[in-house]
Amino acid sequence: MGAFLEVTAAGLFHAAVLFLVAAGLQLVFGVQRILNLACGSFYALGAYCGITAGGYALSLGVPPLLALLVLLLAGCAAAVLGPPVERLLRAVYDRDESFQLLLTFALVLMLQDVVRMVWGSSPRQVDGIYLAYGQVEALGARVPVWNLLVLLAALAVALGLGTFLRRTNFGRLLRATAENRRMAASLGVDTGRIYASVFTLGVALGGMGGALVVPSSAATPEMAVELVVEAFAVVVIGGLGSMGGALAGAAIVGLLRAVALVVWPELELMAVYAVVVAVLLLRPAGLFGKPAT
Amino acid sequence: MRRIAIALVILVALAAAPLLLDEYRTTLLLPVFGYSVALLGVNLLFGYGGLVSFGHAMFLAIGAYAAGVATTALELESFEAMLALGVAAALLVAIPVGLLCARYTKIFFGMLTLAFGMLFHSFLFKFYDLTGGDQGMRVRRPTLFGLEFEDLDKTGFLVGPFYWYCLALTALLTLLMWRLVHSPFGLALRAQRDNPRKAEYLGVEVGRTRFVAFLVSAAYGAIGGAMLAVPTGLADPELAYWTHSGTLIFMTLLGGFAHFAGPLLGASTYVLLQDSLMSWTPYWRLVLGAVLALIVLGCPQGLMGLPALLRARLRPALVARTAPAE
Amino acid sequence: MSAPLLEARGVGRRYGDYVALQGVTLEVQPGETVAIVGPNGAGKTTLVNVLTGLLRPSEGQVRFRGADIAGIGPVRLARWGMARAFQLVQVFPELTVAETIAVGALAQMGRGRRMLTSLGADHQLQELVRETAVAFGLENALHRPARELSQGQKKLLDVASAFALRPAVILLDEPTSGVATADKHGIMRTLMEAARLAGVQALLLVEHDIDLVETYASRVVGLRGGQMLADLPVRDFFADAEVTAALVGRRPAKAH
Repeated sequence: MGAFLEVTAAGLFHAAVLFLVAAGLQLVFGVQRILNLACGSFYALGAYCGITAGGYALSLGVPPLLALLVLLLAGCAAAVLGPPVERLLRAVYDRDESFQLLLTFALVLMLQDVVRMVWGSSPRQVDGIYLAYGQVEALGARVPVWNLLVLLAALAVALGLGTFLRRTNFGRLLRATAENRRMAASLGVDTGRIYASVFTLGVALGGMGGALVVPSSAATPEMAVELVVEAFAVVVIGGLGSMGGALAGAAIVGLLRAVALVVWPELELMAVYAVVVAVLLLRPAGLFGKPAT
Repeated sequence: MRRIAIALVILVALAAAPLLLDEYRTTLLLPVFGYSVALLGVNLLFGYGGLVSFGHAMFLAIGAYAAGVATTALELESFEAMLALGVAAALLVAIPVGLLCARYTKIFFGMLTLAFGMLFHSFLFKFYDLTGGDQGMRVRRPTLFGLEFEDLDKTGFLVGPFYWYCLALTALLTLLMWRLVHSPFGLALRAQRDNPRKAEYLGVEVGRTRFVAFLVSAAYGAIGGAMLAVPTGLADPELAYWTHSGTLIFMTLLGGFAHFAGPLLGASTYVLLQDSLMSWTPYWRLVLGAVLALIVLGCPQGLMGLPALLRARLRPALVARTAPAE
Repeated sequence: MSAPLLEARGVGRRYGDYVALQGVTLEVQPGETVAIVGPNGAGKTTLVNVLTGLLRPSEGQVRFRGADIAGIGPVRLARWGMARAFQLVQVFPELTVAETIAVGALAQMGRGRRMLTSLGADHQLQELVRETAVAFGLENALHRPARELSQGQKKLLDVASAFALRPAVILLDEPTSGVATADKHGIMRTLMEAARLAGVQALLLVEHDIDLVETYASRVVGLRGGQMLADLPVRDFFADAEVTAALVGRRPAKAH
């Protein structure tokens, strides 16, 4: 029982991080119909910012228990790249999807080296936070508190996003623009501002995901390209453009990986990809997505 | 006629290269051949078929690993055997994958191929006992047409017999691809790219056409992969990573996907560019990424399309004349 | 009495509770030009989709040259000798006029799958392409990509490519829509003449323009509310004021 809970907790922790990145992907796809291959790069950027900010804060004597806040903010710092990158992508909104994918791929390449330039090629870490939060014991399982907090944070973000999209005016504006861009524009909606905001929000979410991961894992320049495939698995399984899909997909991928690691380690990611293939073949719209255009 | 003349000049120049260039530069041309062959296949799918495969690198990896398996596990020494094994393995994988993917286009095709590609990469990476895991698999020096060339060391082999073999192989495969794209099949492929529905109403079996194109491009990818693996002596799992697939498309776009010779130009430019950049700065990815962005934004027809682009920019009157009267 | 080229027997099509088509029975014999008329939403598109094997009827049968074609799909339809052109012009932007016509021609010649033969060296093909292009007045644009053509030329190309299939039956969906009134008759004459040259045995036209229907059709089938209200030779159709009014509206006074 204890082992089962521990595996589940580990899986859900990974799912929480995946959800944050996937939520950013879904938002951008939902409104701008662009699949942002650079989502992993923003995740990495957030992670590195988190390491720098976290390390700096700790050196200033900030109590480790405030680290959650520090890291969340550091992750959001990546959002400063949001508006300029969006302006760049604007040139390809109306072009063939292949070109959109290629432009975001160009960003992946560039950002990978930007990270190398600023932080170097070796893995970076921030120590002292993970253990400071300690562990919690229940039902024979030992679960790190940090993992639980991240899970809660992700759920809070999910709730916040849901409310934002459904209840606020701006959220409704977003959904309207997602449904019908031309109509929204002809109704006087400033689509440019919407795109910039949505993209920046997506970047911030990805950055947060990355920042929250660093207490337990090292950051490497390769983490960007490694995460992209998992994030894609999440949105395919959950359904393109759906927030609920991001949540469900993230949970499935996170748990699947955690279970696979225990049952048959070689399979780990293969299990995820196999599920992706199955979903694309049997139900391309994913769990919550609309049928493909 | 002019095209044939240019092709012959290039062929002769390339044949003479080992005699004129130093060893390093000559060995640099080997990946140009390998990637040229692979990219001919990629562009069949992309330029002629309108399909972006983000998992295509998997077939290069299959070619490379087949070469490895041939020399280490099967004790087969000939390059011909490596190629045959690679093509067979590629088709074995491409048939089920292609059947499944042929119904989809655009984003879904891209995602499905990406998933398959990464599935294969994981397999290569994780199953250490079978594939050598992250270490990869050794590819021993092969015989060419049964000849061993014992008196040549590795470099001598690579810049001599192997070089000319690859040149000839590339030339042959280029001719074959030329034939393919100028056949009824090639026309059907382009028709389904431009307007799949109309193509169907004109009797084109769109799914079958895509499937066959997928198989051909897989075979070309495997041959290219084997050509890449022999010089390095290694089949590396990273050959199958999705970013390598992205790079393949980058190279195709760089050369120009709308022209037959685009892939060849893209392969040579990229390999040479990457080599120069790597010796200049550790941040060569940054530069390459910027190049890709510039191409997508400013010159989507690639290098082959540059003359037309410049002509349009410098002579606006010409553009006005070709605009259709509506 | 020879077997009809194309026939529908008791064809109906339902979408859940909504009845798009009901009890439609009609026959098309060689030599006929059948116009399908009716107000919007009358089921014309549904009927056409059933007649061209795109849609399976919920009830009834549809046969082409005696064979059941329910739901066979566009590819087999083209192979079996029926072509269709749509209201919205459909072209291959990057293919030249010659290449576009060649696609259909190759299918008709059974050479569409060949992978190693050269298109340029296929003289029979090139001849067929030329003939078709000339029939539609496109011979001067043979090597221009479709995206460079004028809208009228694109329309002609769209139809020409269908004719390259040498179909026994061709179905044209509002062939002159989007064409200036002064040009409509010219286009129709080109179509009818090309049909004759290509050996087309029967034409079906979905048409709103009463003038064109009266001039070129030999028979008129009228649909309304999913049901067939009329199936008459063209003169009888226009002689019956009630039927005309119900299906095409009141006719404006004709100016000669």
